[in-house]
Amino acid sequence: MFNYTFQWRQALQKLPQLFDGALVTLQIALLSMVMGILLAVILAVARNSKSKLIYAPATVWVEVARNTPALFQIYMAHFGLGSFGIHLSPFVALLAGITFNNAGYLAETFRGALRAIPDTQTRSARSLGMRPLQAFRLIVMPQMFRIAFLPTTNQMVWAILMTSLGVTVGMNTDLAGVTQDINVRSFRTFEIFTLAAVFYYFIAKAVTIGARLIAWRMFRY
Amino acid sequence: MKTSLIIGSLLTATALTSPANADKLDDIMASGTLRCAVVLDFPPMGSRDADNNPIGFDVDYCNDLAAALGVEAEIVETPFPDRIPALVSGRVDVGVASTSDTLERARTAGFTIPYFAFTNVVLTREDAGVEDFDGLKGKTVGSVGGTFEGIALEDNVKEWGEGSFRPYQSQADVFLALSQGQIDATVVTSTVAGSIVASGKYPGLTIKGDAPYAIDYVGLIALRNEYGLLNYLDLFINQQTRTGRYQELYGKWVGGDAPDLTVPNVYR
Repeated sequence: MFNYTFQWRQALQKLPQLFDGALVTLQIALLSMVMGILLAVILAVARNSKSKLIYAPATVWVEVARNTPALFQIYMAHFGLGSFGIHLSPFVALLAGITFNNAGYLAETFRGALRAIPDTQTRSARSLGMRPLQAFRLIVMPQMFRIAFLPTTNQMVWAILMTSLGVTVGMNTDLAGVTQDINVRSFRTFEIFTLAAVFYYFIAKAVTIGARLIAWRMFRY
Repeated sequence: MKTSLIIGSLLTATALTSPANADKLDDIMASGTLRCAVVLDFPPMGSRDADNNPIGFDVDYCNDLAAALGVEAEIVETPFPDRIPALVSGRVDVGVASTSDTLERARTAGFTIPYFAFTNVVLTREDAGVEDFDGLKGKTVGSVGGTFEGIALEDNVKEWGEGSFRPYQSQADVFLALSQGQIDATVVTSTVAGSIVASGKYPGLTIKGDAPYAIDYVGLIALRNEYGLLNYLDLFINQQTRTGRYQELYGKWVGGDAPDLTVPNVYR
């Protein structure tokens, strides 16, 4: 029926390599989140703009990012742009792909949050003598981040898992890349993928728990 | 009435007990189908023709094997990294997939005697400035991750301490990356390199000398504990060679004299 012999010792010997890979994964996810949030704020504001010239490109970005596979976005960044002589290394292509995706999703989260903040907030700020940008930065944005905080941490978990798509463009230093590298050398597929899955689980879990703690400290009444 | 009951229960008992004794070889002959894992982006060993049908040396080799067993061949397209997982998970019976017989892999899969031998060459772009294997030092190179030549090249890059190595998921991705200029060169088996340059699909690619790697002997693979099947496969390879079929297939797909499958001064 099933004749597989487990070789855990062989897989456990690779733990240090997996750990190094996990650090790279976390690094890419963090970088892509920071850039994604910055871009998403701009996109969210642009999507609320009345000017078509500002509104349209932002909408195209969000639509493409949300409605095409992340795998394609990363593959396009490496091989797609490569057709036109623009060469992104696997690391940059992966980072660009995930950031593009993150920005699209987060823009919608932020736009929703912006909608939830009543206009009266801006009007009160303005009547107190704040300039429009000041009112946005000091009154609206903090509220927006507060509303969007937990959905944003979800996106962080998603970003961590998306890094695994880097193997398709030749990325071999992140957790998925290291895992695949060990797998094709030794073919202990089940054991090595199980160990890697445990790593992903704990990274994702740590992010969720960390976010809850931050939320609890910052946002409790 | 009684007799038929006895015969009936005897038949049932036979049907229930016989699979327990049958090995993989029996299973294949009983099922009437031989499922071969073949890599189909690795010409001339495996690829697809204009009508999308699998063709190549490995495809013919699988068909020969199925004919010898008196069953139908089923070609299961399997990328390089998935060959042994496909075997272990029971999706295929044997791998006719140019699998290098490394000792690390032999811990997991069972290898036959070699059925083919590769030498490796440097494949690069005319404008990449690589003249021979030593010219790879400091360049960005790539290969299919985990293949014999991929592992050797990655180790070379680490040893040199300059340049970088990128493992791709398939041979097609390596050629695409090379033709786009994402990587400067790759080390690949001479058969594939010759075939890809001749195909004209990737203009500007050129072969620049041999890679100083040991001859890459490849075996058929089956589950490690299926001795019956592995014995049969060994004999099959022996027969293919002594009947001249190996040379015939080599002439058809590669051209020239087929390489020797034995290593001097040692058995197996």
